[in-house]
Amino acid sequence: MKNTRKLLATILALSLAIGAVSCGEGTTKADNGGKEKKILRFAEANPKNSLDMQTNTNSKVAVISDHITESLLRYDEDLNLIPILIKDMPKVSEDGLTYSFELKEGIKFHNGETLKSSDVKFTFERMFTPATGALSTYNYDMIVGAKEMLAATRESLEGFKVIDDTKFEITLTEPYAPFISNLAISYAEIFPEKATKEAGENWGITTLIGTGPYKLESNNQDTGVTLVKNENYHDGIPNLDEIQVKYIDDINTQLLEYEKGNIDVVALDATLYKNYAENDNFKDEVNEYHPLGTTFLNINNEDEVLGNAKVREALSYAVNREEIANYLLNGTVTPAKAFLNPNIPGYNQEAKDYEYSIEKAKSLLDEAGYKNGVQIKATVSSADGNASKVFTAIQAQVKEAGIDLTIESLDAAAFNQKKKDGELQLYLATWNGLYPDGDHFMNAYLYSANSRTKSVNYNNSKFDEIMSKARVSSNKEERAKLYKEADAIATREDYAVIPLYNQSSFFLAKPYVENMKIGNLIYHFFNVDINTELQNKK
Amino acid sequence: MRKYIIKRVVEAILVVFAITVITFIILNVIPGDPVLLILGDRADANTIEMVRHQMGFDKPLHIQFFNYLGKLLHLDLGVSYFTREAVFQSLSRAFTLTIKLALSAYAFALVFGITFGVIASVKRGKFIDKFLMSTSIIGISAPSFWVAIILQIIFGLKLNLLPISGGESVSAFILPAFALGTRYIASIARITRTSMLEIIGQDYVRTAEAKGVSKWRVTIGHALRNALLPIITLIGAELGGVLTGSMLIEKVFSISGIGKLTVDSILSRDMPVLQGAIIYIATICVIIYLLVDISYAYIDPRIRLGDEQ
Repeated sequence: MKNTRKLLATILALSLAIGAVSCGEGTTKADNGGKEKKILRFAEANPKNSLDMQTNTNSKVAVISDHITESLLRYDEDLNLIPILIKDMPKVSEDGLTYSFELKEGIKFHNGETLKSSDVKFTFERMFTPATGALSTYNYDMIVGAKEMLAATRESLEGFKVIDDTKFEITLTEPYAPFISNLAISYAEIFPEKATKEAGENWGITTLIGTGPYKLESNNQDTGVTLVKNENYHDGIPNLDEIQVKYIDDINTQLLEYEKGNIDVVALDATLYKNYAENDNFKDEVNEYHPLGTTFLNINNEDEVLGNAKVREALSYAVNREEIANYLLNGTVTPAKAFLNPNIPGYNQEAKDYEYSIEKAKSLLDEAGYKNGVQIKATVSSADGNASKVFTAIQAQVKEAGIDLTIESLDAAAFNQKKKDGELQLYLATWNGLYPDGDHFMNAYLYSANSRTKSVNYNNSKFDEIMSKARVSSNKEERAKLYKEADAIATREDYAVIPLYNQSSFFLAKPYVENMKIGNLIYHFFNVDINTELQNKK
Repeated sequence: MRKYIIKRVVEAILVVFAITVITFIILNVIPGDPVLLILGDRADANTIEMVRHQMGFDKPLHIQFFNYLGKLLHLDLGVSYFTREAVFQSLSRAFTLTIKLALSAYAFALVFGITFGVIASVKRGKFIDKFLMSTSIIGISAPSFWVAIILQIIFGLKLNLLPISGGESVSAFILPAFALGTRYIASIARITRTSMLEIIGQDYVRTAEAKGVSKWRVTIGHALRNALLPIITLIGAELGGVLTGSMLIEKVFSISGIGKLTVDSILSRDMPVLQGAIIYIATICVIIYLLVDISYAYIDPRIRLGDEQ
């Protein structure tokens, strides 16, 4: 009896202790001079990267840095290219080599300094300085003098001419139609010269200053980032007072935090789409968007077996895309009809579905000399949870045509190494365009020199010629026509890659989060607002 | 005793150095180019080669090793390929979080594990003994990440009593400590029971009881004290594992500890971080085993004297 009482007392004491400790959590909303603060809480996996977009290529970092620093232009959520720091779209010389810019006047960085042409020049020179370790120079190294700087044979960027504090010109070594689009992506965000130099190695770690609608309040490499609104933003004061980006690696934990109400917006993996779309408590909070991507079977065109176009074509006929889209992936994808994504200029709107026919597949294999069947090895990366599932389904499908598909799994690093060395025979790939342009889509992936590092090893001189021609043309319609033609060559004649589907992506957003929209890949909150009345009602 | 300690310390240093060398060789031999992971798919071949050159990967391996060793002697563990942060700083932060988690889990495991073990040994054969030992099997068998998720759902979401994730507040460590400590409670309870049963049967314990010493004092003051050796061995062996981080628990609860840091750096081939983490883990393990050996020698002089002879 005495011992039982002691035990009960101990349990009670522990419970009280837990309760006392847990009651001290506090609330996330803070008073803002009598007005409710609008704080948006977003969860994503820890990008484990500096916030300096010159030294990394991580889209999760861009979610943060795009709100702090800005490029000269930007693609909005409807994929329209709009000037941000410049007055108008740049004027391009007739030969397509020289671009003339004029900055808007009076734009301030967060530290109060005025944006000048010299800051833009500094940003690009920093990018081409080897010590910076910039990773995306290939998007801009057609600027005169860039390659020399990267080779450390020059210290200044010859092709950048400052005319005055707001006007400057950039000259290229050769015409390059997507150049303006490349200026709109995160890698070309403009930095203040003085502050960047002062911050030195801490740039992007403890310090990041830009012209963006939000300022960096704190950057904790382990827990997340806090952004506060820029009261002096050149395009109007943003709606939100604060954006908190919380780092939570585990997607289940992210969703639990969302369900608990600690997160307002979170990505929803396609595999979990049904759980929330069919849940009465959350179905109205599920949102869909369509990134500029295509998922396809990446084929090694120099492989002993798959080097034969008939075998590749047979593989295409043997895959049942409808079954994968509707049953395996629960309708979260749409069967692809081309390599280009439907929102990329040049996509063939009249393209027919890829036919599913086991008979045709068998006949083609027979013509290729594989009447008794053929063995193909697919490789999946441990980082791609979807690939195993898709290949398992394809394995069963293609078996009927006499294709014996084996699946090997490698960890991400080993997979990437083999891919770069051109050793993979077949794998599942998703290529996402950063903006709606065929060059960024097709040239970057299938042009012969670029396709080597992706184990595609596609080498069609006509295709390459079309890519080169489209790259230098300033006529949008002509470029679209060329990409349409190139797509047909690559996927309907050569079957260099086998398009499977276009993905939808999903996110959850609380009902009080307004104007939340995603154009492509990156979560932007530029126009987002919070209905505090509705938020308090929950 | 001093000679014994010096000998053990020198051996420990040699072990850590050997591990550093072996780790460096292995990390540079296994497939996986970190440059590809840093750059992603969009970079062309020229950019890949340029970045490899900038990062020094085109230098001969022995040059890379000597450069690394030179920095290590100045306690410079290098900079992460991805975050560009000094490795020492990342490790320090991760270590602090892991220490908090490990100590919470271990304190929890020790208190409940030893208590359950002692109770089970004293009440041998009774229902409470069978109940505690059966429960301990579940504790050892249940995957820690499963326990973690169940705790998150029940206490974090449904009952809304505790935070679901994070490592910023005291309360945030309760669920992870419980999830991590569960299997250690089980193993400590079992070894305590076994060890206690051996001691309880000894003559001197029966003599103390016969002399009228209270059961409480006999159990704790005499029996438990003498049953400590195997318990200390287990604590030492498992403390190393706990202090080097539980990746699953850290991932589920979003605590950026050493375990998670190590696994993430393996997957991303962030060599400086990985190398630093392995040196840290090796050092921790070596120190713990050293302390266990020294405490053995202190508790049982026969061990020390035997070694000196």
